[in-house]
Formats: sequence, structure tokens, C-alpha cells
Amino acid sequence: MAEDLVLDTAIRDWVLIPLSVVMVLIGVLRYFVSKLMRSSQSPDAKIVKEGQIIIRARNLRAGANFIPPKSFRARRVYFSNEENGLLYVPKGQAQNAQAQMFSDPNMAMDMMKKNLSMIIPQTLTFAWVNFFFSGFVAAKIPFPLTQRFRSMLQNGIDLSTVDVSYVSSRSWYFLNLFGLRGLFSLILGEENAMDDTQRMMQMSGFGFDPTKGLSAEKDGLDIVQHEWALPKFEQRAEAVLRKLVS
Amino acid sequence: MVSKTEEAQVNRLENQVDNGGGGAWEYLCLVRTLKLRRSDKVLKHGLSILNDPKKRSSLGPDEWTLYEQVAIAAMDCQCLDVAKDCIKVLQKRFPDSKRVGKLEAMLLEAKGSWVEAEKAYTSLLEDNPLDQVIHKRRSAMAKAQGNTSGAIEWLNKYLEIFMADHDAWRELAEIYVSLQMYKQAAFCYEELILSQPTTPLYHLAYADVLYTLGGLENLQTAKKYYASTIDLTGGKNTRALLGICLCTFSIGELTKGRNKEGKESSDLQCLAAAALEKDYKQRAPTKLALLNSTLKSLKLSS
Repeated sequence: MAEDLVLDTAIRDWVLIPLSVVMVLIGVLRYFVSKLMRSSQSPDAKIVKEGQIIIRARNLRAGANFIPPKSFRARRVYFSNEENGLLYVPKGQAQNAQAQMFSDPNMAMDMMKKNLSMIIPQTLTFAWVNFFFSGFVAAKIPFPLTQRFRSMLQNGIDLSTVDVSYVSSRSWYFLNLFGLRGLFSLILGEENAMDDTQRMMQMSGFGFDPTKGLSAEKDGLDIVQHEWALPKFEQRAEAVLRKLVS
Repeated sequence: MVSKTEEAQVNRLENQVDNGGGGAWEYLCLVRTLKLRRSDKVLKHGLSILNDPKKRSSLGPDEWTLYEQVAIAAMDCQCLDVAKDCIKVLQKRFPDSKRVGKLEAMLLEAKGSWVEAEKAYTSLLEDNPLDQVIHKRRSAMAKAQGNTSGAIEWLNKYLEIFMADHDAWRELAEIYVSLQMYKQAAFCYEELILSQPTTPLYHLAYADVLYTLGGLENLQTAKKYYASTIDLTGGKNTRALLGICLCTFSIGELTKGRNKEGKESSDLQCLAAAALEKDYKQRAPTKLALLNSTLKSLKLSS
């Protein structure tokens, strides 16, 4: 079982490298296409306001110990007040974010576009790989693996005695799929380095759900115990001055 | 706020460009990213680039950003015809753009035609109700006209939507202080401290406002904040040191009848006085006599 198969260098020249090059090119193409197709989404005033409220509430939680207790309590009441506090969301209004997403035609279109721009190239490339590059061993993984991986990595190869480290080109395709982010960040600039894993995560996430954010902040704020840090500062200032003067 | 290294870099580039070395474009880019207000230099060097067709074409698409930057600098220096020319060029290139519309409204503001500028800003806001810069320009206009209460109103409306914008809170605090509405100013400074608790500037300003408000509790709180400023700046802030001395003195005045806390505060005051003396000896020895007489008057009575 530990025999070394000698792999033809032609495999490297004609399979591994072209596959990587094609995937990089497709990624670049997708970036440009998405840039062209992206419709500018005018931000909703309510969502912006809620975002800012969350930032302010977060600041309040973080810096609570730096302001006098009276001001902290006044602000906390302002935020979590039962009747008209900013963070308070009455139960009936906690909207179903999903229903809202689908009823708004713009957002539905945007999501469709994003999903399409990812699904189609992936499908096409996968079909191409399967058609042209199946049935042979493409590469050897440098570390040993268990037998469980055989079905995943050796899909086109129908010999059961070949070592699991020898994989088919399909696994090279998956490796590239998850790994080209570094290359994209070099080519396209830091923010655009999105490879397919991140897109898949974006596809499943349903976007901004403001009501959950607000109630989370409110809970966090209710928990905070105010411990005024300033009296300690007087002693610290004394220490600093003592060092300075002596 | 700009960090020390960035400021040093900008100054170095400025010197280089002023004395004839190259690098005008890097200087302008740095000023733009750091949002500094050096309009005369920007105007001079920006115009030198724009008037030279070779340099202008070498900029490529950044040429239009440079036009915008030079237009704003020209308005700041009151060279309104230069600004008008730049805006005309931009208008030809981008006929329906909101950014160019904003520049035109700013030109109206610079000329002093407040009513028309107001109308222009309102119409821009209708198309784009969430544009922060336009909101702020409206309140800046009110302030420039001397209508401080109008400026406060606009700023408050802006802050109702964009409450995490600490620059706006800072501006509001300064306006309140200028109008002597110290309680509201104290509130704004508290917001600033919450968002950036390690900036000694805000602690100092808050302590100043509290000291001005007066009353025993406020004075004690002010003393604590002066102490925190000293801690954050390593004892180098003269204003905070003087603040401590004054606060202790005033607290002593107010609590003359009761004998509770006389002892612990005098330590801090003596230390602050000693630090002040050392500082003055080093940096302004001529004023040392003045300082000593002031400190004596404070020490004797407390």
C-alpha cells in the first residue's frame, strides 16, 4: 500500500495549472460583472437611525464607568424606558424580517442577482472539471489520510487500492474554491477579496435584522452595573504627580 | 483627530513642496484623507497642477477629485472666480451629479446669498435625505449667519438621526458653551467621553464646564475629572494642574463649616502646586513669581 505512484508531469502542466488559472480568471470576471450589475441601494432612514442608536448604546455600555452615576442612569432610562425608550421594541412590532425581505421587490432582486452571480460560474466550472478531468489521479496530498476520505477525494477513480493521498482533480477544484482568497486580495485590492466561501455565507444570511439588534443592546444595557471609575483616578493622579515632582 | 506621525508627515511634505521640491500631488492627497484645513496651500499647489496641462492629464480620473478639492479651498480663501471656474468644469463633465450640486450650493453660501443656498440645500436633501454633509452644512450656515439658536436646532435634528457622530456632539458642546448653556454642554461632553473615554481633551473640557457650573457636588466631580486628565496626560497638562488647585480651594471655601474632607484633598493640591512650580521653572521662569503669588493666595485661604 505504501508504493509510490509516479505521476506524469504532464498532469501538472495540463490539469493543475490550467484549472487554477481558469478559476482565478472567473473570479476576476465575476468581480467586474458584479460591479456593473450592482444597483445602488438607497439606505432606509429608519435602518440608519437604528444603526446609529445601536452604536450609541454600545458606547454607553463601554464607557459607562467614566461618567457620573446620575448621568448614566438618566441615559439608561432614556434608552430602555418601557414607554418610549429608544431600544424598546413592543412585541407586536417585532417584524418578521423574512417577510419584509421578500415583499420588498428591490431587495429580492438584489439577492437573486447576488445568488445567480455565484451559482452559475460554480456550476459551469464544476461541470467542466467533471467532463474533462475525471478518471485519473491528479495529485498527491503530502500527508496521510484515513480511508473515510476516499469517497470525497477520489471520486472519479474506481480503484479501491490506491492510497487515499492520491486525489482526483475534483478535489483540486475544491481546494482552489476555498483557497484563492489570498490571491484575490492581491489582485483586486483588500476589500474585494471574496472567495466563494464568503459568498456562500452571505447567501444564507438574510441581511440586517434590526429588531434583534435593538433588543440585544437593551438587554446588555440592563445588565450593566455602574461602577464609577473616577475616584480611583484621583489616587492615580496623585501617584503620577508624586513621581513627576520627586 | 490627526495623530502626531501623520501631522509630522504632512508638515514635512508641506515644507518640501513650498521650497520647490516635487510631491505636490502626495501632499494634496494626504491633506484630503486627513481632512485638514490648509486652504491657501491647497489652492496654490492645486492650481499649479491644474493649470499645467501635462501634469493634469497625468492624473487621470483623479483630476476631478482635485478640481473638487481646489474649488472648496478657493471658496475658503474667498477666490470665488477660481471656484466658479472649477465648478463649471466639473459641471460639464458630470452634469447631473449630487456632488457638483453640493459644490454649487457651497458657492452660493460663500458668496453670502444665504436664502438661495438654503433653498439649494433643502432641494438636495429632498433627493437624498440621509446625506450627512449637507445636514452639517446647513447648521454651519446658520452659525455663520450668527444665528446660533438656529444652528443648535439644526444640529439637534441632525443628531436625532445620526447620534453616533462625535464631531457633531463636539460642535454642539462648543456652541452651548459659547451661549453659556452649561448644563447642555455638560451633557454633550458626557457623550464625547462615552464614545472616546481615553481622550484627555474631553475630560478637561467636561471638568471646566462642571467647575463653571459650581455647587459642591459639581466641584467635587470636576476635581475628579481634572485628576483623570492629569492621569491620562502623565501630569503634563498645566490647565488640569491649575484646575485641581482652584477646585480644592473652592471646595474648601464651601465646606468651611464642616470638617470632614479637609485632609485628603490637600495632598493632591500640594502635589499639583509642586508640579506647577517645576513646570514653570523649566519653561517660563519669568512668570514663576506670578505663579507663586497665585498659589500662595490659594493655599493661605483653604
